[in-house]
Amino acid sequence: MVVAFRLPVLLVIWCMLGRAEEPEAILQRAVQAHQAGDMQAAIQGYKEFLKIQPASVLAHSNLGAALAHQGEYGDAIREYKEALTLAPDNPAIALNLAIAYYKLGEIGKAAAELIALRARQPDNQQVNLLLADCWLRLGENQKVIAMLDPMYAAHRDDDGLAYLLGTALIRDGQTNRGQLVIDKILHNGDSAEARLLMGTTKFSVHDFAGAVKDLARAVELNPSLPSVHSYYGQALLSTGDAAGAVREFRLELQQDPNDFSANLDLGALLRQDQELDEAAQYIERALRVRPRDPGAEFQMASIKVAQGKLEEARQRLENTIKESPTFVEAHVTLATVYYRLKRKADGDRERGVVQKLNAEIQARQPASQTSAPGPTEKPQ
Amino acid sequence: MIAGAALYLFYSAATAPAVCAGCHKAQARTQPATPMGHALERVEDCDILRDHPRLTFQYGRYSYSITRQGSQGIYSVTDGTATLTVPIGWAFGLGEAGQTYVFERGGTFYESRVSFYKAIGGLDLTMGARAAEPQDLTQAAGREMIHKEVADCFGCHTTGAVRGSTVHFEDLQAGVLCENCHMQSAAHVAALKAGDAKGAAMPHLAAMTTEESAEFCGRCHRTWAQIAAGGPLGILNIRFQPYRLTNSKCYDPTDQRISCIACHDPHVEVVRNTASYDSKCQACHYQRANAPGKVCPVAKKDCTGCHMPKLDLPGAHKKFTDHQIRIVRANGAYPD
Repeated sequence: MVVAFRLPVLLVIWCMLGRAEEPEAILQRAVQAHQAGDMQAAIQGYKEFLKIQPASVLAHSNLGAALAHQGEYGDAIREYKEALTLAPDNPAIALNLAIAYYKLGEIGKAAAELIALRARQPDNQQVNLLLADCWLRLGENQKVIAMLDPMYAAHRDDDGLAYLLGTALIRDGQTNRGQLVIDKILHNGDSAEARLLMGTTKFSVHDFAGAVKDLARAVELNPSLPSVHSYYGQALLSTGDAAGAVREFRLELQQDPNDFSANLDLGALLRQDQELDEAAQYIERALRVRPRDPGAEFQMASIKVAQGKLEEARQRLENTIKESPTFVEAHVTLATVYYRLKRKADGDRERGVVQKLNAEIQARQPASQTSAPGPTEKPQ
Repeated sequence: MIAGAALYLFYSAATAPAVCAGCHKAQARTQPATPMGHALERVEDCDILRDHPRLTFQYGRYSYSITRQGSQGIYSVTDGTATLTVPIGWAFGLGEAGQTYVFERGGTFYESRVSFYKAIGGLDLTMGARAAEPQDLTQAAGREMIHKEVADCFGCHTTGAVRGSTVHFEDLQAGVLCENCHMQSAAHVAALKAGDAKGAAMPHLAAMTTEESAEFCGRCHRTWAQIAAGGPLGILNIRFQPYRLTNSKCYDPTDQRISCIACHDPHVEVVRNTASYDSKCQACHYQRANAPGKVCPVAKKDCTGCHMPKLDLPGAHKKFTDHQIRIVRANGAYPD
């Protein structure tokens, strides 16, 4: 999630350009336009050629690459798939397909392609690191650790690898091990990457003020570092600076429209401010990155509640608590939705679940935490 | 995370109560004098600060004072070596139980660490302050309020100032006045002046369902969802009436006999005579075969005296009526 991958789209150069027949001349012009950066002309040429020779792997693949370059990932995916139907063992096209999924925010599908690719090319570092990045985005920290741990033993100089492994360890709660892995990066001096790791480490142990300081410095050192604005925004939010958090989430999404946390947190903040339509756009994107994520599903359900779309909210919440039966806020909102739908018995049942879950939470807390008044208590 | 979205927003461009009084004479005459109408007082208008020109309090090594200087209230805290002195910005609460002060310092808002309590006629720690030991004089003076909290506090204690999550102090009307609940009054007035009866329509609050009322009033008095998801649990939530009421066994989200406004008219002073609520209870609990509620075998009057007991809220120097209607057992635990 935090490594600045370069994702080159592989252009398959046709080696038969010298032939003079008409269809081949069309393809030649398309490839030349592609190489010259004129994507519209390239796309037009590839399409023209495919009308004549629809079974051309090269034309489908190159058309996919040109479309991806234009940000038309959905169409690019269709072309890559067509190419793979014709040439199922072509790893370059499979990697391009994975990259297109990644760029589109279909992280689960990207990961599935990369897993298949890794089975064939276990030593392909680009595939491994991109897969690790996908897993981080999907919250699959332990898979990242299992894959990268042995690789790290053999490649201790690879900062990118250390970065991904360290992040996964910290997010998995293995803060001490994570700190050891990232120590090498920190010893290289003050860098945006080092500050980002220090900030996220402090954030994970709830030192929010310290996290804000490090992350602000990371932004200062390299505002283009992937996820730096997202984490800075989260830290600002934890210190109560919602306006600052919104600003940072927007900056992150300018760089990476598929950052899960920035989409989710910005959507949640906008929902609180009743900017429901805009909030829904960000939550939808978060759900594209992590389908069925309970937090994102809950936010979308809450938007539906605020919009008065109670049936839709109910269905989402019922699905959410099936996946996450101890998600208190989801039960709370579902109880409210049932009441608004005049389904008192169902509402009462959900309230009972909330009561039981809260009692369990209280039982796990030290006595001092359950009896102390909240910070905003004041006489009226 | 706050579950359950608010039904309505605090609305901008508040219409002055005097304008509303042009047509809604009865409500406009009584509402500004209610506790909600005085949910916030400007320092210059604050009776408590006027009646108590010098308040003092000692807690640990910190000495506190609030003194009246002209129209100002000056809040001061000292640890014996250094002193922090600031003018009070706003007085939150009419003082029915107490009054807490908010001041601004260096662009940051603080909730005073001490509050005035009516029962003791003086200062004591603000509720919640006992839990955190101050590390310096600023913390001893007050608790820093985060941005959203400032908007939430002013949104519930004033009218016309909060738009989105920003407080526009230039538009602030002290207390909860017409616009805070009814909203859209500017458009309402403009449409009426233009003779547009259809355009003058406003949300009909009295037509809300019981559940909608609980959520509407709960914007400030806290909804069930807010407390259930974020606490506080235990006796500290006794002040949050919509939460308590909707926990009642007899609460029915579709039955208007148990809605907030079935018992309370927000336009008039809250009725203190508990017997006056008997008819509300007996709207359900009457002697008939199909009555929704059972008839009390113990008494025929003063229902709330037993079934809605007044309980002591620690630190508040006041007993609060528990709105979770129930059969109270001797030595029974406080039901959450």
